[in-house]
Amino acid sequence: MTNKPLSLYFHFPFCVKKCAYCAFYSLQAQPEEIKNAYCGALEKQIGFLPREREIISVYFGGGTPSSLGAERLCKLIEKIKERCSLAPDCEITVEVNPGTAGESDFYALYAAGFNRISAGVQSANDETLAFLGRIHDFRQARECILAAKRAGFANIGADLIFALPGQSAEDFLHSIDSVCDLGVQHISAYSLQLEPGTPLYAKRGTLCFPDEEAEEAVYGALCARLKERGYEHYEISSFALPGFRARHNGVYWNRGEYLGIGAGAHSFYGGKRFSAPCDINAFIQKAGDSLFAPTDRETAPFITVAEAEEERVMLGLRTSDGAVVPPGARVKARRIAEAGFGVFDGERLVLNEKGFRVSNEIIAEVLI
Amino acid sequence: MRKIEKIRNFSIIAHIDHGKSTLADRLLEYTGAVEKRDVEEQMLDNMELERERGITIKARAVRFDYKADDGETYELNLIDTPGHVDFGYEVSRSLSACEGAVLIVDATQGIQAQTLANAYMAVDHDLEILPVINKIDLASADPEMAKREIEDVIGIPASDAPCISAKMGINIREVLERIVKDIPCPKGDPEAPLEALIFDCYYDSYKGVIVYIRIMNGRLRVGDKVKMMHTGAEFEVVETGTLSTFSLDKKEFLEAGEVGYFTASIKNIADTDVGDTVTHADAPCAKPLPGFKKSQPMVFAGIYPADGSKYGDLKDALDKLRLNDSSFTYEPESSVALGFGFRCGFLGLLHMEIIEERLEREFALDLITTAPSVIYEIHKTNGDTVYIDNPTNYPDPATIETACEPFVSASIITPSDYVGTIMQLCTDRRGEFIDMKYIDVNRAELHYLLPLNEIVYDFFDSLKSRSKGYASLDYEFKDYRPSKLSKLDILLNGEIVDALSFIVHSDRAYARARKICEKLKDNIPRQLFEIPVQAAIGGKIIARETVKAMRKDVLAKCYGGDITRKKKLLEKQKEGKKRMRTLGTVEVPQEAFMAVLKYDDE
Repeated sequence: MTNKPLSLYFHFPFCVKKCAYCAFYSLQAQPEEIKNAYCGALEKQIGFLPREREIISVYFGGGTPSSLGAERLCKLIEKIKERCSLAPDCEITVEVNPGTAGESDFYALYAAGFNRISAGVQSANDETLAFLGRIHDFRQARECILAAKRAGFANIGADLIFALPGQSAEDFLHSIDSVCDLGVQHISAYSLQLEPGTPLYAKRGTLCFPDEEAEEAVYGALCARLKERGYEHYEISSFALPGFRARHNGVYWNRGEYLGIGAGAHSFYGGKRFSAPCDINAFIQKAGDSLFAPTDRETAPFITVAEAEEERVMLGLRTSDGAVVPPGARVKARRIAEAGFGVFDGERLVLNEKGFRVSNEIIAEVLI
Repeated sequence: MRKIEKIRNFSIIAHIDHGKSTLADRLLEYTGAVEKRDVEEQMLDNMELERERGITIKARAVRFDYKADDGETYELNLIDTPGHVDFGYEVSRSLSACEGAVLIVDATQGIQAQTLANAYMAVDHDLEILPVINKIDLASADPEMAKREIEDVIGIPASDAPCISAKMGINIREVLERIVKDIPCPKGDPEAPLEALIFDCYYDSYKGVIVYIRIMNGRLRVGDKVKMMHTGAEFEVVETGTLSTFSLDKKEFLEAGEVGYFTASIKNIADTDVGDTVTHADAPCAKPLPGFKKSQPMVFAGIYPADGSKYGDLKDALDKLRLNDSSFTYEPESSVALGFGFRCGFLGLLHMEIIEERLEREFALDLITTAPSVIYEIHKTNGDTVYIDNPTNYPDPATIETACEPFVSASIITPSDYVGTIMQLCTDRRGEFIDMKYIDVNRAELHYLLPLNEIVYDFFDSLKSRSKGYASLDYEFKDYRPSKLSKLDILLNGEIVDALSFIVHSDRAYARARKICEKLKDNIPRQLFEIPVQAAIGGKIIARETVKAMRKDVLAKCYGGDITRKKKLLEKQKEGKKRMRTLGTVEVPQEAFMAVLKYDDE
């Protein structure tokens, strides 16, 4: 069993500036010493990684990993390569936010072994970008993607946000087209989730968010447009040109094992789900003790068989592979399929675009 | 002085919140029946629920001694009365056990509907009424106004009524002196055959039913064989005694004029009806005391466990509650929509709310209650008369000769400013105007005949909201009157939900149907499928709304492999689904059942 493939996630809780909608663990304007100490801590953790497991994907996420500069990231990937056995086709992704990486950074990253860029474009509309509290405009986003391409990256994904106040379907399609025109292979289109504690949440009362019908219209339009342009809709919010599905995310959805390294990072490893607290200082302090010292692995419960089964259905139904539903839910699954939410072959339920839209409800229905 | 001459049996009567329980506390405190530190706020109201609502639900009684200015020590029995319109009969039985009543009037509010209703009842029982003006410590108090109203409206002298503040303990002694001086001592002959009035009872798991009685004539001893004249049940007395604040004081016997209790290993509270007469089995009195009525539930509703598997728990809880409250009834029923539950009868809406709350609180049950119904009297074409307390059983209209519904005569007291809007409300609820009197320049008393059916939903709430809380209501059953009634069915996704059916006056059917469909639409969450919500009379659909299909319910992203959020969300969603009732293919939250009950626009 030790030869089961493994994935690695590295968390970089640093941003130039926090976005108005973001509730994730990330700190802005940290001094260089902290960033150095944090990367040093990540290196120590790398030293504990299992040598024998084949690594099929590595993901540098955040926060904004690119805000640390290519040099630090390259050094870390070197360490990982020294320590672990990476599969020959290992997918190595780094999240980049426009305005935090220049052309030379991309050359360096590519040379170090990164082979996939996930760019936080969010929108092609500058007003929207300002509203979201992004530090860049679309021109910078375009520059960023073109620079990555020039540096050699041939697998680039872009994130986009929809369901914004005042955003029409046309607006959003314009963003989709603008990004596709840049030649990205992967698009993640997320509807905005209002998270308590964010600036956007605080002023939600003054904003007019699209209702369910309007949001449905945008989602429908974006799915149609991306299909037209040759992208496969392979997960609720993920679209890829053939051969460019995000392998790392696939590990999450297929319940493959992954180790999350860094403050606030989540792991699924050895039958447990656990995470490190959102506290960089604590992480820096404990990183040298052992791989799991900064996490709550000790106290985290083992995933039970029943729970694993639920996870499998819950995660599977988010993808275009669907999930084999529990025998007790077959009648419901058939009813769901007959109502046009997907396809059911008697065992496996695969949701379609209409089903994805209400997937929470369907998942709960199937699992209750 | 003979012993009986030193006894004073009295009640305190008042409109809700005029200070009845507070005065009771002060009297006990003043006479040393309790230490001040023992005074849990208003101790006559034992139940937690009563304290929260500030109303007394079940009568309690307490005996205490008072050394008066004349140097004599008197035995005072305070018999508490329930302060709400639902419990009129219980009040009348408590008053029957007394010779006098302290009538409290709030100096800031003057006479209110229940002040009047209670005062009239006291007059009917030939009680000496001792008016007391309370809350004189408040800046807005107007004791002279209150006295004038008592004289003008009730017609009893009030010029020398004690002006007190029960809250601050002002002039409490004056009240005690007046009780001793003005309220007559009981009459009665200890040597005559036993005649004792049951005015309350409750169940004790060790002693069986504890019966609260007032001895009118004769003597009751431990070991006596006694008979309940109306129920016919016979028992041997195990214990008798008087009632002190926190305990029962055993005594060898009780005799004419005294208030106390007895136990007789009585297992079933139904054997001891409030108002029944206790006498000796072998030497009975000639006839029972007057005024006995079997307490009749007026309002019926289905009570179901939200979780069908809790049926047994609900049954146990009802059995236990019934031990202490013989005025509510229940029998098993089943509903296609809700499964197994009970059809319960209550004295009124408040009584229903109290039982519901006690079930939920004391027994930790989640309940679904159907719309309350009154009892309809149906004369069928074949000559039969049937009484219907459950809309599901409403007969086929073709077999109905006449349908009758219960009417009550209602008295509403309101500041004059709200007379218009309240008359509008009564008219909307099919009220028949009887008369209106001005109590003073600012307040009016309205009399209406109202169908009980119209009161049981949210009439009281509407009355309060239309009068900014000032109007007060009292009502009593009048008679059955022929009416145009229809059974309204509600359909979800094309299927009749029996638990949502109700009976409505035909003229109001369309408006009510529309409103209920709207309410259901607003209270049923969007689901995967579109849900038609329809109302029908017979087979004819008269209103329709649609709960649109859910358009969006999706969690965008599992950031950095954190699926715990998604898992939590899923758990929450599953919990939510479990709390809902699945009717056919439609999930209906409990709130939807409740929302149907409220239909005033305001």
